[in-house]
Amino acid sequence: MVSVTLRNACLDYPLYGAYDFSLKRRLLGHLLREPGEMRIIRAVDNVTIEAETGSRIGLAGPNGSGKSTLLRLIAGVYPPSSGSIALQGNVVPLLGLNAGVNLDFVAEDNIALLLRISGRKPTRAVIDDIWAFTELEPRMQRLPLRMFSSGMLMRVLFATATAFPADILLLDEWLSVVDEHFAEKAEGRLLNMVSQAAIVIIASHDQPLLRRICTSIINLDHGRIASTVTVEPPVTHSIELREKRA
Amino acid sequence: MHHTSETPRRPSVLHIFKIYYPDLFGGTLTVIRDICASLKDAFASAVLVCSQSAERREIVVNDVPVERVRSFGNIMSLPAAPTYPWRLWRKIAEHDLLALHAPFPLADLVFAFGFGARRPLVVHWHADIVTHAGLRWFIQPLMRRTLRRAKAIIVSDHVLVDNTPLLREFEDKCHVVPFGIDTSGYDWPKIEPHHVNDRGRLVLACGRLVPYKGFDVLIRAAAAHNFETWIIGEGVERPRLEQLIKELGLGERVRLLGSVSDCERIKLMCLADVFVMPSVTNAETFGLVQLEAMAAGRPVVNTALDTAVPRVARHGMEAITVPPGDAEQLGEAIDTLIRDPERRRRMGLAARTRALSRYSATAFKQGMETVYRNAVAASSEERSTAAEPPQATGWLDTVRIAAALAWSDMRHRYVRSLLGPFWMSLQMAIVVVVLGSVIGQMSNTNMLARLPMLALSMTAWTFLNGVVLDATTALQNSASLIRDRALPPVIFLLQCTFRQALFALHNACVPLLLWLAFSPHDLSHALAALPGLLLFVACTFALSLVLGAMATRYRDLKPIIESTLMLAFLASPVIWSSDMINHRSTVMRLNPLTHLFAVWREPLAGGHVDPVSIVYVLVALALLVFASVLTLVHLRKAAFWI
Repeated sequence: MVSVTLRNACLDYPLYGAYDFSLKRRLLGHLLREPGEMRIIRAVDNVTIEAETGSRIGLAGPNGSGKSTLLRLIAGVYPPSSGSIALQGNVVPLLGLNAGVNLDFVAEDNIALLLRISGRKPTRAVIDDIWAFTELEPRMQRLPLRMFSSGMLMRVLFATATAFPADILLLDEWLSVVDEHFAEKAEGRLLNMVSQAAIVIIASHDQPLLRRICTSIINLDHGRIASTVTVEPPVTHSIELREKRA
Repeated sequence: MHHTSETPRRPSVLHIFKIYYPDLFGGTLTVIRDICASLKDAFASAVLVCSQSAERREIVVNDVPVERVRSFGNIMSLPAAPTYPWRLWRKIAEHDLLALHAPFPLADLVFAFGFGARRPLVVHWHADIVTHAGLRWFIQPLMRRTLRRAKAIIVSDHVLVDNTPLLREFEDKCHVVPFGIDTSGYDWPKIEPHHVNDRGRLVLACGRLVPYKGFDVLIRAAAAHNFETWIIGEGVERPRLEQLIKELGLGERVRLLGSVSDCERIKLMCLADVFVMPSVTNAETFGLVQLEAMAAGRPVVNTALDTAVPRVARHGMEAITVPPGDAEQLGEAIDTLIRDPERRRRMGLAARTRALSRYSATAFKQGMETVYRNAVAASSEERSTAAEPPQATGWLDTVRIAAALAWSDMRHRYVRSLLGPFWMSLQMAIVVVVLGSVIGQMSNTNMLARLPMLALSMTAWTFLNGVVLDATTALQNSASLIRDRALPPVIFLLQCTFRQALFALHNACVPLLLWLAFSPHDLSHALAALPGLLLFVACTFALSLVLGAMATRYRDLKPIIESTLMLAFLASPVIWSSDMINHRSTVMRLNPLTHLFAVWREPLAGGHVDPVSIVYVLVALALLVFASVLTLVHLRKAAFWI
């Protein structure tokens, strides 16, 4: 059983200024009885989400409304300040694509390393599969990533990140980076991955995309849930998805 | 739109047995080969076996890849292949389904230790252990474990389940799939009901020349009667059987044909008048060859074993069944058939009909495919229902990822230079030489003998220094992995230790060369120094954990740590040793680094460690571990700091 449950989850994000990173100042502050005031922003405020198998939740909202922070909170990057978070199933957070990339290495080694970071064993077959998806020439596998254009780099990273299915998939705004042909293909693969994952939570500004994929859309504002929209009717959507995949 | 990851892949099956073509021919191998061939549309098969031949390890037999693990002979009917369990363990991960052809205790051993527990296993029960029954007390528990974790057990006849106590325990898992053969090949030469050989005296038997096949009984039976006996097959019993033939003076009438090709065998079966299966123990569970003889329309003489043998060819209908091991009755039965051509013809026809209808290749294929498919499906269901604990990045994963990252860091050093980290070793060699000469001037001692220890101390210091310094920036440098992939921050602190350990191994070539050149080579000292060295590494890691986290939280700590390390280097006996200074100064005694170096340097030099040093280091380690635990708790908040 895969589920994501957030109950009244809050996250107080400490904003460290230059002085707050200083141990000397902190110790001196204690001695001088200077009130060490730390600026804190409530990035996620009293959010309650219950997601069962089959949920596709979209997070929408303006910049700084806490979409990414909420995703990170669910992924376990930040501990909640109050409230509780319970997850069942393995989480694959894909919040940034170029984490862990070494531009000096050849593409093949980078793919292998990225797979290892996500706990997968990089076998020849898996790497070849990923490479086939990028539609780049096979000999480019032996070139350092530094020589790749940013679009080509994105293809490689996208193909690697989405090579394996996940129970709980957390996605953050990352489809807008590749050329048109590949974007279409990437969306296809993403939809496929979304259809295989038990729970998907995706943050995006792209309302049509959210409407296509999600069963419900949560609008965030200043870390609070402003409104929840249930996308209707979910049945025809899943058929549409299947057609797209075929 | 196409997706490479979506193309339906055939699940792959690994067949596990002790031997395979072309090293041997026999019933079990025919079954494995037939399974591979008939299921090739639904499953991709591979075979892992042992082989005594020193030829190529990976071969292809009938389009099926076969890996042959080197075996050094047979002990108690088992191949002595020490690397087989290891190869099996490696191969298990590559396949979706495991098909173990029992009995094969070598593989049971692997499963008993819990390897491959995540892959579905199907056991083909070919026979019980009969030949070395004395080993049962040892092997039975292993087999029971294997059967317990098996998804399904395939037997050729239900009588095996009834007569094998071990199988009765798992009766609900047993599936009866009778062997089937493709009868189309047996139409040569055209079998006509009237075609009866008038000579009427050719008796055929077929099987590996091993004791349980009972060919000696057949030979003795031939002595008392007047028929010609041909035996197809090869095996260890050959010299004994030849001896027996000679003793009984049957050289004219009894022939051992050796191995023959499939086509030849079928031809011989069609030529023969009577087919005999004289097997004497329950190791013969089915008798695939008698089924082949039946397909060729031959009457059969078989033995009353507790297995499927007398049920495949039934007494009075397709066969005459005699008590196993009874040469007299066997001879009588054969003679009865030889004297009665009409009965032979009737039985032959009945045999062919039974082979075609009851043991068809199609039914066999369907039965196998159903069992295999259910096993694969059941296991994938299980896998998806067995909810992994949230945040499944256990300690092992953490270490594994850290090691992968560290390894990649080291390879990075090699990317643009051939020498890679050895440049640092070179640099260190220069430092050691210069320092060595300077210190030699100061202390008037024989510096040459001290050089290896100086180099080693420098290596150790470089390691400690590097780990701590790297740790102060590690979290910030890996910010994206922590924030975007939700990796636990401790990975990156561990990575520092691993990376510097790899570099230290490069640097270690300098002290190693010096040691080889200038010191008496005494390995026992090196062994004595190992525990101390481990303490040193553990302390270094714990220190880096604490300082790394703190330096990330408080950025002004980094310069302080840097200068403290410099001071520590000068105040500790790294480049000089404590005996160079006549009296031990208070600073030196209080300095934990003195003791941290002493716990491994003293035994390496052949001396004894001061108990005070050991206590000092252990207390320091305990404190560091305590601090590390506190740090690990706070490290949850590391994502805020970077």
